[in-house]
Amino acid sequence: MPHVMISSKKCTGCHQCELACSAYHENGFRPSVARLWAEVNPTTGAIKGHTCLQTGCSKCQEACPQDAIVTREITVKVKGDFPGREKLGDTVTGYVLVVDEEKCTNCGECYDVCPTDVIHEHPDKEVAFKCDLCGGEPQCIAFCQNPYVLAVDLKVDKMDKEPVPA
Amino acid sequence: MDFYQGRVLRIDLSKGTTAVEPLNMEWAQLYVGGKGLLLRYLWDEVPPKLDPWSPDAPIILMTGPFAGTTVTTASRLVVGAKSPVTGILNDSYVGGSFAPELKFAGYDAVIIKGKAAKPTVVTIKDDVVAFVPADNYWGMMTSAVEAALRADFDANAKVLSIGPAGEKKVPWACLSTDQYHKAGRAGHGALMGDKNLKAIAVRGTGTVSVGDPKAFLELLYKIHTDYVLTDDNLWAHEEGTPVLVDVVNGGGAIPTRNWSAGQFEGADKINSEAFQKIRIKKRACFQCSISCRNFHETTFAGETVRGEGPEYETIALCGANCGIDDIGALMKFNELCDELGLDTMSSGSVTALAMDLTEKGIHDFGLHFGEAESYVQVPALVASREGIGAELALGARALAAKYGHPELAMQVKNLEIPGYDPRGSFGSAISYATSDRGGCHMRAFPPGDELAAGTMPADTMEGKVEQVIAGDSANGFIGQNFSSIKFSGIWCDFWAVTPEQIALMLAPLFGHEFSEAEVMTIGERIWNLARLFNLREGVEKDDLPKKLYASEGAFSEGPSAGKAVGEVVFRESLAKYKTLRGWDENGVPSEAKLAELGVDVRL
Repeated sequence: MPHVMISSKKCTGCHQCELACSAYHENGFRPSVARLWAEVNPTTGAIKGHTCLQTGCSKCQEACPQDAIVTREITVKVKGDFPGREKLGDTVTGYVLVVDEEKCTNCGECYDVCPTDVIHEHPDKEVAFKCDLCGGEPQCIAFCQNPYVLAVDLKVDKMDKEPVPA
Repeated sequence: MDFYQGRVLRIDLSKGTTAVEPLNMEWAQLYVGGKGLLLRYLWDEVPPKLDPWSPDAPIILMTGPFAGTTVTTASRLVVGAKSPVTGILNDSYVGGSFAPELKFAGYDAVIIKGKAAKPTVVTIKDDVVAFVPADNYWGMMTSAVEAALRADFDANAKVLSIGPAGEKKVPWACLSTDQYHKAGRAGHGALMGDKNLKAIAVRGTGTVSVGDPKAFLELLYKIHTDYVLTDDNLWAHEEGTPVLVDVVNGGGAIPTRNWSAGQFEGADKINSEAFQKIRIKKRACFQCSISCRNFHETTFAGETVRGEGPEYETIALCGANCGIDDIGALMKFNELCDELGLDTMSSGSVTALAMDLTEKGIHDFGLHFGEAESYVQVPALVASREGIGAELALGARALAAKYGHPELAMQVKNLEIPGYDPRGSFGSAISYATSDRGGCHMRAFPPGDELAAGTMPADTMEGKVEQVIAGDSANGFIGQNFSSIKFSGIWCDFWAVTPEQIALMLAPLFGHEFSEAEVMTIGERIWNLARLFNLREGVEKDDLPKKLYASEGAFSEGPSAGKAVGEVVFRESLAKYKTLRGWDENGVPSEAKLAELGVDVRL
């Protein structure tokens, strides 16, 4: 299923993905509330990407006692050039996990189980926030569509779990 | 507020107090941010003729309006003060992620005054500002203090610090952030050391607003695609500044053995090709899509040396100018300067001068051109002011004068000059002499056309004075007016942004359209403000070490053999510069010029 990955080898640590992500979701540039992040060790130069694997993981959904993490159908169309395009074509359809803010009680069960540390409590409203692939046009990839770097990419994994459409 | 946070943080180290005041938006309208706005604040914050070492002397950290957005490269911070080295303006720029973090914490600028009674660290987490005793941090290398503050204060903190050299007030001690990024020149590190301020650590979790963020992303996506990620800017990513080694060496303009030659026989051991062989990774500053930084690994004396850089200036001044072609020794010297908090450009210049004094039999510093073992000892000796370091820490001008050979110090206004010899780049003679902070290549860049692009002959002054004043990226090498607006954005040197593209980005900032001419006028306004500041503080006459322009200084061999600007042409060019600027023979801007440009202060 479609999800975003950061190549730790290619990533230069510019954080444009976090900036674009937050501008799209938070009405301004606020990388501390981005849905993905590049962890950069300034001394060694090592980089670890943190992104949501969506339905390929689903641990947040399984942990949620309120059924507030819902599976939605999505068509992903990525702006610009990216390495996955050759294999995936111009659009990819699949499923994405999104937070139903009506149901979410901010209980924190999902925060503890996320293996990539990308679902958190929103600092301004008492609900969880996570990657929703920008509704189909991921801004993180658009702003890493840098032909020099191309570190943030769309990947599609085979499903190992049956999707549960909302 | 959009783009700006509208807030300035004041820190008084003597009293241990802080205050927040509104950003002066009238000034922001006139001077944008970065260099321009910094200068306007310095004008008011530095009492005229103040001793730069006075506790009342401010250090100002200024961001640009685009820091913390997707505007590529615009994450730079400018640090400003009256330099204790040159006695005039010092606006020193640094990349990394400090400026955006400061914006996310809610501040456009920080004005630091006073002197702490004991070593201190200032921590800023959004609205919470604290003074922390720095006894545990004092003496630490720059990488260690960064790591310690990430552990003790906030795992995501960005740190601006001094190393041991700043604590000892070495005149070319620098500020360090993200370990490898330096606000290098003209002594900010010494000033911070004098204030007993080891570091400022900031963590911001707020927002930089831009009005309609989705429309802004659309604009920036187009700007990135059309103007940033293009072949013109590719060199910075593919090679970075080491690409200049072959270019400048080929033109006979690389300073070699304390400026005694313009071509270095060992250049191919420290050129871009050599560095590509030891390259591990490309790295970027925050919000930069170009990613020019190079991470290297090699060995020196059987030990691994690993880190970012060196950049061209370091390769030229600490490599060729010291006769060093051992890439490991050069990496080691660079690493030590980074860790100790020393500007590599002045470090290389002063080391080369000491080698020259030794080899000429004037005074024995135990340093010789090309001798790596003694060379790599220099940074630690300078930073501690021990042994020969005590004398080297005088700086090139005072050291050469002390031994009766002032002509051997390659400096302008007491700032050691960069790695482009005017004998192989005539335009650099005027750009160094007229730079607003002394010997600097970042205000106008004649080597861009003369050596890199080859679009202007290097051995003539024709057209150079005009270009040094008014050139821009769309029209040859960048000049002083254009760099003034560019460094107010603050866009990085390595994006060849044009006035037209700057106008595209200023439009959402100020809510109205800009013409290219208006963009250039803002730049000229800022340059004239810098001139007024320097005149007020008592700037030296524009000049250059004589051998770099006089005919008797010409090289006898190499690609630039026999070439010299010549005394007459040099003096005529300086006079022409003032005339074209609308300044009198003393370099004082006319009232008509200041009024035309809308400069809002007067001498």
